[in-house]
Amino acid sequence: MGEPVDTWFAREVLAHEQALMRFLHRNWRDHDEVGDLRQEIYVRVYEAAMRQPPDSPKSFLFATARNLLADRVRRQRIVSITAVGDLEQLNVLQDELDPPRWLGGREALTRLARALDRLPERCREVVWLRRVEDLPQKEIARRLGISEKTVEKHIAKGSRMMADFFHGGTEAGAPPGHAHGEPARIRKPT
Amino acid sequence: MNTDHRQIERTASMWLARRDAGDWSDGQQAALNAWLEESIAHRVAFLRLEATWNETARLQAFAAGCSEIVPARGEWAQSPYFVSPIGAAHPDGHGRGTRQRRRRRWPLFAGIAASLVAIAVVAAGLAWNNYARVETGAWHTLLGAQQVVRLPDGSTATLGSDTGLRVAFSRSERNLDLARGEAFFDVAHDAARPFVVHVEGYRVTAVGTRFDVRRGHDRKLRVVVTRGLVRLQSMIDPARAATMLPAGSIAMVVGDNVLVQQVPLDEARERLSWRDGYAVFHGTPLAEAVEEFNRYNPRKIVIADHSLAALRVGGNFRLDNSAAFVRLMQQVFPVQAEPHGDRIVLSRRAAARATR
Repeated sequence: MGEPVDTWFAREVLAHEQALMRFLHRNWRDHDEVGDLRQEIYVRVYEAAMRQPPDSPKSFLFATARNLLADRVRRQRIVSITAVGDLEQLNVLQDELDPPRWLGGREALTRLARALDRLPERCREVVWLRRVEDLPQKEIARRLGISEKTVEKHIAKGSRMMADFFHGGTEAGAPPGHAHGEPARIRKPT
Repeated sequence: MNTDHRQIERTASMWLARRDAGDWSDGQQAALNAWLEESIAHRVAFLRLEATWNETARLQAFAAGCSEIVPARGEWAQSPYFVSPIGAAHPDGHGRGTRQRRRRRWPLFAGIAASLVAIAVVAAGLAWNNYARVETGAWHTLLGAQQVVRLPDGSTATLGSDTGLRVAFSRSERNLDLARGEAFFDVAHDAARPFVVHVEGYRVTAVGTRFDVRRGHDRKLRVVVTRGLVRLQSMIDPARAATMLPAGSIAMVVGDNVLVQQVPLDEARERLSWRDGYAVFHGTPLAEAVEEFNRYNPRKIVIADHSLAALRVGGNFRLDNSAAFVRLMQQVFPVQAEPHGDRIVLSRRAAARATR
């Protein structure tokens, strides 16, 4: 049971992440919270899909996003209504140009290439050797003269950053600097 | 309401990296499963990273023509694959001064050649006695290998995968026999001694030229000329007029039929990109592209569904990485690949399942 939902989720939901991130950035003022919102939306969609995969995954995804934003606004009364774009208008977003399916050819390839080029130097090297040259981590460690543990860390970081850059375009999710300390999540709109 | 998503994401990425390191035990898989079961937030975070990570395999398409040295930012994406179809969509020019650095590089082959190629030089060496009346030699390359051979007259022959070449040079003639495979010849000029390649019942004669001769399936023969003039003559039927092939000619020969195509020189040279270790396709039928890979890989790709054969393929691909090619085909086309013993069988993917 778990398996089909996973593949369904990757194919039908994650494929729209770029559009979703655009939507969130445009409609939620505190950009620091966008990553948490995204996760919460994914959790809701996945939970719903375990019961019954929705007919139109994309509409369902954006409906979930709208509902979540509305919930949040209601919960935090302090947030001025301008924090969120006009909620009624959010419906329009469904008609947004269909984002290129991420399994859809060159565009995706270009974005991947750019995402890779945005990785920090060593990390980029490691990801290249692993994914393009297809070298095992062990061999990469040997070649670069670093420990296997370090290679693994670069892979971990690379996978996170690639996911952010690939979907988010410019600003999304990229933590300032790469010190992965606990990000400040206190800033609330007043 | 959940733990900060970054924290979860970090853990998810550690799992992914750990699994990617290899030596993945059942116990570790069980531990990962347990973590995934813990919360849906864990699961979606992991799926998200995994999906993009899997996607990055596509970058192998760009690797074509790059050496295994990690290329500079921006520069590598200037591979020909990038330039032709989407070059225009790449205006932010973060690769200033983009030197194309792909010519004459085939480190992968060099690497292979050094190790497993076991070039079976059968009778070279000794036979190259300066004063021998006839100089002979023979070379064979293994599947996936490539070898550059210096011939005693100063010509060079670049042998492709699984190729056999015998030569016999006398004072009046330079005779070569392409027993199988493909070879590119850069012929030293010697008007007194024609340079003749015997293949599939044809004589391919050159003076000072560059040309490529390939034996294909079903007695198919292809000759590509990139410099000078080559003369193609049937030996089965010597009465037939010879065909003259100037630079930029691509001759396809099946039995009695000779079809000559005139193309710009660059295009003709592109057909010879195998020497650099990659294949260049422009709207090439899938069947042809597959044949190209099969020349270089022990694991043969078979097209089970003939309606697929006509699909058009574009891009640059490393010849030694047919797996990457197959993966891309599956992503771009309604194609499904399944391993069957030592073959990979391509069939049409069943119509997209309704998502309900």
